Amino acid sequence: MRSSPRRPVLGALAVVSMLGLVAACGSGGASSEIQLWGLQDDLLNESTEQIVASYNENAETPVNYSYYVNDPYKERLQVALGSPQGPDVWLNWGGGNLSQFVEAGQVTDLTPMLEQEPELRDAFLPSVMEVGTVDGSVYALPMVGTQPVLLYFNQEVFDEAGVEPPQTYDDLLELVDVFTERDITPIVLPGQQAWTEMFWLAYLTERIGGPDVFQAVIDGEEGAWRDPAMIEAMERCQELVEAGAFGTSYASVTYDGGAATELLTSGEAAMFLMGTWEYGSQLASAPEFVESSLGWTTFPMVEDGEGDPQALVGNPSNYFSITANSEHVDASFEFLAETLTSDAYLDSLLELGQVPPVVGIEDRLAASPGADHATWVYDLVDNASSYTQVWDQAMTPAQAEVLLTNIQRLFLNEITPDEFAAAMEQAS
Amino acid sequence: MSAASRTRHRRTDRGAVLGLPRRTPTSKSPNILAGLGSVIWLALVAVPLYYLVLTSLRGEDNYLSQGALAWSGLTLGNYGDALRLGFLGYALNSIVVTGATILLVLGLALPAAYAIVRGESRAVRIAFQVILLGLAIPAQAVIVPVYLIITRLNLYDSLVAIILPTAAFSLPIAIIVLTSTLRDVPKELYESMTVDGAGTATIFARLVLPLARPGVITVGIFAGIGAWNGFLFPLVLTQSEELRVLPLGLSTFQSQYTTNVPGLMAAVVLSALPIFALYLFGRRQLLSGLTAGFGK
Amino acid sequence: MIGSTLERRPARRADSSAPRRPGRAGRTDRPGILWAAPALLFFGVFALFPIVLVAWLSLTEWSGLGDPVFVGLDNWLALPQDPEAPGAVWSTVRLTVLCWAVQTPLALLLGVWAAGQQRNRAVLSALFFLPLLLSTAAIALLGHSMFDPNFGLAEVVGPLVGVPDGNFLGNSDLALYMVIGVLTWQFVPFHALIYQAAARQIPRMLYEAAAIDGAGRFRRFLSITLPQLRHTIVASSVLILVGSLTYFETVLLLTGGGPGTASRVLPLHMYIQGFRAFEMGDASVLAVLLVAVGTLLSVLVVRVTGYSRMTSEREGL
Repeated sequence: MRSSPRRPVLGALAVVSMLGLVAACGSGGASSEIQLWGLQDDLLNESTEQIVASYNENAETPVNYSYYVNDPYKERLQVALGSPQGPDVWLNWGGGNLSQFVEAGQVTDLTPMLEQEPELRDAFLPSVMEVGTVDGSVYALPMVGTQPVLLYFNQEVFDEAGVEPPQTYDDLLELVDVFTERDITPIVLPGQQAWTEMFWLAYLTERIGGPDVFQAVIDGEEGAWRDPAMIEAMERCQELVEAGAFGTSYASVTYDGGAATELLTSGEAAMFLMGTWEYGSQLASAPEFVESSLGWTTFPMVEDGEGDPQALVGNPSNYFSITANSEHVDASFEFLAETLTSDAYLDSLLELGQVPPVVGIEDRLAASPGADHATWVYDLVDNASSYTQVWDQAMTPAQAEVLLTNIQRLFLNEITPDEFAAAMEQAS
Repeated sequence: MSAASRTRHRRTDRGAVLGLPRRTPTSKSPNILAGLGSVIWLALVAVPLYYLVLTSLRGEDNYLSQGALAWSGLTLGNYGDALRLGFLGYALNSIVVTGATILLVLGLALPAAYAIVRGESRAVRIAFQVILLGLAIPAQAVIVPVYLIITRLNLYDSLVAIILPTAAFSLPIAIIVLTSTLRDVPKELYESMTVDGAGTATIFARLVLPLARPGVITVGIFAGIGAWNGFLFPLVLTQSEELRVLPLGLSTFQSQYTTNVPGLMAAVVLSALPIFALYLFGRRQLLSGLTAGFGK
Repeated sequence: MIGSTLERRPARRADSSAPRRPGRAGRTDRPGILWAAPALLFFGVFALFPIVLVAWLSLTEWSGLGDPVFVGLDNWLALPQDPEAPGAVWSTVRLTVLCWAVQTPLALLLGVWAAGQQRNRAVLSALFFLPLLLSTAAIALLGHSMFDPNFGLAEVVGPLVGVPDGNFLGNSDLALYMVIGVLTWQFVPFHALIYQAAARQIPRMLYEAAAIDGAGRFRRFLSITLPQLRHTIVASSVLILVGSLTYFETVLLLTGGGPGTASRVLPLHMYIQGFRAFEMGDASVLAVLLVAVGTLLSVLVVRVTGYSRMTSEREGL
């Protein structure tokens, strides 16, 4: 008993001397293997591990898969990509996150290799592929299902009120009055979790000013947060709050506990802006409701807005990229080419209720659980003119924290759009 | 402080055993104001607990459709759900962490307390002062460096990562309690053993260990409860679902399995059962263990 | 220590000063520092060393991965620019003061009441102490569920207390008070237990004498109970103060510091900076501040309660 604690003590003394010397203890180094880095996700890891295992059976250069939790992962990547301990193939979110690495010259341009493999090049839905593309060159290939944010609604509640789902923002404001009069919360907003409020701001910005407005933020352009479209989007968020669109107790509601989902199911609320994973939750908790009266539509357009009503906000996909100075660029590409569109992998995704952004899978979608929804989402993404990544994912963790805090304040009317912009500028 | 309160508590009980007169002569007329106040507090304590137990017994549909406090559609199914959805794994992790923490704390604190009570060197006295100072260190404030140390020891995301700092932060109070217990051992006992030629190790094994028993129980309960209820270290020092201890498991329970508040409440009730059992069968020891944490 | 044993008395060790013991060098019955060394080293590595380390980390830029990079006083100089820091400090001060102001009288009254030997009091106080059995996380989650405006108790109770929509946790003006309420529920039983034990030590004679003098119940409470419990009051108060300075689990699980930052206390702000924004340097600055204030308060603990002059139960009699 007395001697056992000494070991950590010695270790800690070693720590003192190691501080400032030791690099992140990555799992890399073994040059005979492709190092593949992914994210911790209990369901998805299984499919990834399976395809890795089956790929390794016949591969010359086997793949070694390691995964990490979400937030430290982003930071870990930043450090590791420049070091010999870095991965050969790594998961990323495309968009702004990816373009940082591209600018730093750390990512392999896949375009020439895709020219050799036109089948793979054309295998993915263009709007999703676009997010893995920087300045016309492809740097990343989608590796999971796509999850746009949709406006879900309770058809029964709409029928009882004799109204239709909103096509425009003005429709939405009218519906707010209709439902408020009927003592129904027009829109459920789990505002205790700020990211649900972020969807409103992101979509309104998109509809009012198009995808370039947020792109400017990611590109770090001066005054991006003060773009008139951005400011107007914030004003409209506050207008919705004032109009009672979200009821009065929205800031006490959480998404994680399932309360928000239940409010839509029970008809206490009429609409819910949420990612397509919401469909899965509903299917699990209230299959009869999904069958009889769960409806969904795209986010309403804003009159005179520059945004395309077909443009999407959400998680386009997660992506795999190849490190620029990897010793195994070709082998890594071969791994991606063989697995990402393989039947086995797509089947495992479909089984999880995901919608893989891969062309020509309509038949298989139609046979998957929740086929209506999956097919609809697939077509939507197929036809989308642009696909903006959810904002917090596109930023550094530190900026995302500031964003989420201030979005909550915006929805509480504690700050003005100007103050919001100022807070974001200070954080970047 | 902790030792004092423990001491006090014991002394009170001893008083009861001796049959001291209990009723103060002045409290013959009932104190209406105090009675009223106590009833109000009782309600404040009871309502949340009632809500907890009731909700844990209600079917999920019933909970969602009938409003709070509806006394209908009761079922034990939520307890089954909680057990199925990972509770047992969390409980097992908690048991491992709790057991290991108790052993580690006692293994370190007992010899230290012995040295402090019987030792004569200046170094021991300084050591005691240092550990007393450590009472003031809030675990929350050092969580960043503890995270650094744990990652550098390659212990991140393991149960050991939880056990080590949890035990370290229980040490000061454990040592204080044990020191106070050992000081109650008459000097003559030590001296007579020395006369018989016993060395420090023998004295420790034959005299200190048996006589420290009351203190050991208090410390065991104190350190055990701290480890059982600990949230911060598991939150920061682990990430895997398989390594979640109960408090952390409870907090992630709701985000993982949506829409099951009754199931969550059932898990909360289950998580308190071991301590509740202790309350029923060893109330005195439990309370002394709890108040040993007075210094926390 | 609490109550009468607090009296400073010469530590027992003063009269057993080692070198003067007559010629028994080489005796082995006295355990040396080696016996305490494992505990000391262990405690040093995981509690004392981190204090030094956190001070150094406050001078570095570190994201939690890779190595901390020394940046001098940058983080400290940036502190005034942290837009959330003043609010977090103010929330912490309010939380600390209010926790003390609410918990101390409640715990004192309950403890003194429960110290009475009447049968009904014994039964009731067994119930009073029930919150002690639940963990912080469990209590916070119970609170969160109770205050759910749509499905929790808030829906029923809200209209009765002037919050018709049950919006307790999402209301910037109420959120911090809800945290204080939950903390009070959790910790009053604990402090009442301490007061109960202390109140039972008050010599009965004092009350008997006062009763003969015709002092009423209220008078006896003021002039006997309170003065007799003064050390306990001080000790318990300091613990509430130091405790409120560091509690963040409850806030994290109950409100997440929200809405906005309405209930973001300093330790939670530190946690968010460190483990959500991964600005470990900035988080360390806040940690150093917490340690400094905590130490200040606990030096008070040591001075007031005389920890360093541990006296045994025997000596206390």
